[in-house]
Amino acid sequence: MKAFTQIPPGTQILIGRAARRRRVLERVICSVFEGWSYEEIIPPIFDYYDVFIKGMGTGPEEQIYRFIDREGNILALRPEFTSLVAKTVATRLASAPRPIRLFYSGEVLRFEKPKGGRQREFAQIGIEHYGGIGKTSDVEVLLIAVEAFQRLGVPAFQINLGSVDFFGGIVDRMELPAGQIGELKDILNVKDQSGLEALLETLPLGDRRKEILRAIPHLTGGRAIIEEARQLVRNPRSVEALDHLEHIYSIFERFDLAQHLTIDLGEIRGFDYYTGILFRAYVRDLGFEVASGGRYDGLPSAFGEDLPAVGFSFSLDRLEQMVTPALSMPDPDAISIDADNGFEQALQHRRLGKAVKLCL
Amino acid sequence: MLVIALCKGRYLEPSLSMLSRANIRFPDYVEYGAADVGVAGRDVIMESRADLLQPLDLNFGHCRIAVAGPEGAHSINGSDHPTVRVATKYPRITLDYYNTRGIPVEIIALSGSIELAPLIGLADRIVDLVETGRTLKENGLEIVEIIAESSARLLVNRAGYQTKREEVLGMIHALEKVVQCESSI
Repeated sequence: MKAFTQIPPGTQILIGRAARRRRVLERVICSVFEGWSYEEIIPPIFDYYDVFIKGMGTGPEEQIYRFIDREGNILALRPEFTSLVAKTVATRLASAPRPIRLFYSGEVLRFEKPKGGRQREFAQIGIEHYGGIGKTSDVEVLLIAVEAFQRLGVPAFQINLGSVDFFGGIVDRMELPAGQIGELKDILNVKDQSGLEALLETLPLGDRRKEILRAIPHLTGGRAIIEEARQLVRNPRSVEALDHLEHIYSIFERFDLAQHLTIDLGEIRGFDYYTGILFRAYVRDLGFEVASGGRYDGLPSAFGEDLPAVGFSFSLDRLEQMVTPALSMPDPDAISIDADNGFEQALQHRRLGKAVKLCL
Repeated sequence: MLVIALCKGRYLEPSLSMLSRANIRFPDYVEYGAADVGVAGRDVIMESRADLLQPLDLNFGHCRIAVAGPEGAHSINGSDHPTVRVATKYPRITLDYYNTRGIPVEIIALSGSIELAPLIGLADRIVDLVETGRTLKENGLEIVEIIAESSARLLVNRAGYQTKREEVLGMIHALEKVVQCESSI
């Protein structure tokens, strides 16, 4: 019988060194979060299905594991933490003083193709910052991400920072139907120039606007990119987004971190809930992003409270694939003790905090 | 250092695109970061749904992904049976295409000689790559509808694009010039 001999696709089991590596990684990152005064939240593993639909939007709904309880409620296993935390902040923590800083660590489940060392059940660890001042809290979460990479001993990490407002400000004025905006986003997300040309031919836009759209996939780089983008847009939403990105970039420059930051104005992927900056972090020679996050001011209002929010999460399963000193897990050193008559000796060593191994 | 994934003999053979089409697994190398940059047909990328940047149309290997049926067939539907049987090596593209048109489809996934399927009564229609249309004609088939245009694309892994940006951008620009030169001849 299959159930007794095979594992279901999408699950994985961590044993020994792999499990130790998971815990070490978790501890290092938690200590960084705690060092910036974030408090742990342990949310439930399931909640009402609608909670996650509110958060993630209707695109990824087919990835959600859902089930029906005995009263007929539709529930879901958490596919992410952000919606759960947003709901908690807007309800249980409604009267707690702002800003609220929370971190979480645990498994999430998504029915998707396992890839990049990530199964359908995978581990996320991340932070949520609620009710802060936009500018400052954006910088705060980015600096926390940087510190976590540094503590893990990752030398070549790259944070790719964009803003939904830059693109948003541009398309706001074009008054395109939602379907065409979706198509445009899909094309820009893969920087598909020829696809963009084909689409532009069908759009009722003037030459100047088409030029702006053509430029978007190339607007990736350092400070110069922000200047280049300024020549293209005049609408307040896009301009404000550029001011903000420049502010963040300056701070990274000031602390000698600019080499880890890439401004990417073509970066517009992600869940529907993002409202301001959004970012993804990559490490050299790992093909998939290891962290992602951004600002989602609208999300808490879905649960009854209008509150600015920003956060990000690391994918532990992906980080574990990196080889850094912090993660090279030696086998534990234990004193071998003959099990016959050895308990006294073993207890003595244990009192001194030493590891023992009874030999039978 | 940039790792570039190329199909064996790709630039030696005159029919470069044929090889990329033959190599279905190609985008996976790039998506997983085993290579930073690669080349594959748009058909392969659409079918694999790999999450990759596709910054450049290399402007060779032009062909179409099309629904074809026996000569005189004017509809993507088969017989009067409500479900149409379609032979293809693009099961995902085919399923999406028929699903969005509300037509129930039974997909017969084949890996070669797709054009024989209608002849032997295995399928009502096929979804296949069409370059000149000669193979179709030889088998008594013709295009019913075009699903998408395809050509060779440069693929870039998202992480590689960020962590090796100078090298990747340098390569894109160099290739862009070659493509522009060739298309202006």
